[in-house]
Amino acid sequence: MTSRHAITAVAIANCLGSRNEVVFARAFDGSDGFRPATAFFAFPFETELGVMDLHDEENGDDWAGCAPTRLARVALASARQITGAVQAAIERWGARRVAYVFSSSTGGLEQTERHLAPHPSLAGGLHFDYAYADHGIDATVAAFARRLGARGLQASVSTACSSGLKALATAARFIEHDLADAVVVASADSLCRTTIFGFASLGLLAPTATRPFGRDRCGITLGEGSAYLLLERKSPETARQALGWLAGLGARTDAFHQTSPHPEGVGAELAMRQALGRAGLEVADLDLVLAHATGTRLNDAVEGAALGRLLGTAVPVTATKSLTGHTLGSSGLTALVLAVEALRRQEIPATLRADPVDPSLGLTVISERTAARLDQVLVNAFGFGGSNASAVVSAHA
Amino acid sequence: MTIAVEILGASFFATHHASPADALAGVGRAFTPPAFALLVGRARRFTSLVTQLHMEVCGGLPAHASAGDLPAVFATCHGEIQTALRLISDFRDIGEVSSAQFAHSVHNTPSGLWAIATRTAAPTTTLTGENAIAAGWLEAALLARETGGLVVLSIADEPVPPAFRGPGEAGGVAAAFLVGPAAHVGRPAVLLIDESGGDAERPSGILARAVHACSRRDAGDLVLGAVAPGRSLRLLVSAAS
Repeated sequence: MTSRHAITAVAIANCLGSRNEVVFARAFDGSDGFRPATAFFAFPFETELGVMDLHDEENGDDWAGCAPTRLARVALASARQITGAVQAAIERWGARRVAYVFSSSTGGLEQTERHLAPHPSLAGGLHFDYAYADHGIDATVAAFARRLGARGLQASVSTACSSGLKALATAARFIEHDLADAVVVASADSLCRTTIFGFASLGLLAPTATRPFGRDRCGITLGEGSAYLLLERKSPETARQALGWLAGLGARTDAFHQTSPHPEGVGAELAMRQALGRAGLEVADLDLVLAHATGTRLNDAVEGAALGRLLGTAVPVTATKSLTGHTLGSSGLTALVLAVEALRRQEIPATLRADPVDPSLGLTVISERTAARLDQVLVNAFGFGGSNASAVVSAHA
Repeated sequence: MTIAVEILGASFFATHHASPADALAGVGRAFTPPAFALLVGRARRFTSLVTQLHMEVCGGLPAHASAGDLPAVFATCHGEIQTALRLISDFRDIGEVSSAQFAHSVHNTPSGLWAIATRTAAPTTTLTGENAIAAGWLEAALLARETGGLVVLSIADEPVPPAFRGPGEAGGVAAAFLVGPAAHVGRPAVLLIDESGGDAERPSGILARAVHACSRRDAGDLVLGAVAPGRSLRLLVSAAS
């Protein structure tokens, strides 16, 4: 990155709530939003899910003029919250200079499932005709960008669970190459049966609530959610409004296996080092890591090894998937928005159920809400395909 | 807004056309699967047609594309759409899905296999959706300018199964390009964002036209697709010197 970019607004919605203040309050108070999977569908196995409360009166059809799919409604909860900030950016830069970059792992797949595999136990459906336009990763992009008034570039990124941070890289590129002055960077993934059956087939679903970094960790709790942020070119005005700054991004590929991470976490470590380097920071400058930490035996061990080589025990680490569940393509931006809030509060959200922490990881895992001096936070998002991405957010320009 | 690039290689494959010229002229052939020799051994198992198409055209680029630890941009309008149908059918009909199929169901499956095949740790990304071709080109060009080096751009799609009621392309089609910044020794080209609006041409036609333009000696000019409301990305390829 050639310079730091201002994060002038954030929005988040997931199983903790549909408004920023609710999500932040519950996250920093240390409560999760998990429910038995039957709240979504009668699966033939035990697991918990981070299911959002989606209110039928609030749907994408009313707001944006697109079909009110589960994806649209999950995304809407965040998009609504960022509308005012986008309007201000449009006044500042002009509508054609405000881009919209969306990211997701499954997009509108849940809507296609309803069409091809209808089932009476499926929760939260609205009745309308299926159209292929509702299936894709980009199903909501044109409608939501139009509703927000952003008439700049549009792009849709899908790199599994690293999607959000990869979208952030695309957005930063638009600003750095003068194709945009502000970018709505958006992510949303709704629960869908394909991913839940899929992670069950891999033996990665936790039967009870996930315990990232715990000695007794037993897998992933999947969730759904959306996270939006407004990234803007540095200027005196955006500097005054900045909630935080995107300082650096890193991305490397494992080149090892389609679903398993490199056993030594080499790609993850390289991505983190690159993000730090591009932020112009040393390891000693870091105050906190929001780890990818899905709660599986292998993933946490590999990320722990990479973090251990990079940081030792000097930098505290926390895992917000213990609060929100794993929101797949939205998980990177979800963690990043929580990192921005951590900077504002000068507090670290706890990793729930981490105690007793796995001693073999050699990490300083924060298992209770902790006040701390926070200036620079590293966020990780790793995904299938060996796709590793890291970002540094800073309190300073 | 213009972005100067150079094109150092282009590759095309279609299951129902033998060449870009045939695709543009509407000359068909019987379904011909890609050989996708880039993948060997176990990596070939469970690969979908769209992944095979990506590997086929990436393998058709100059050798340094797969040996140079280059960043890669993958683009696909529909992603692993046939695998998605199989997974939905399986959980509907038998109450479970194949772990191997699920592992290969994400949009960035081809980029992961590309990295494994070429042993590269360089970053990859995947652009998708209706404007995937234009967005992929833009991402590759910006990445080339940012890094000052070469970038692999691979674009592919397989037919959307009829159950999805999606757009109807008869076969699979793919194209790959080796894109560099203006400083390299290659075929000069310019990406231009202008007001020409969206283009209704099918992805197969756009890809055939793009590879055709890069392969001929005379200048070429084509619309890659919409990148913003009312604005399109055009590729202007200079005449070969």
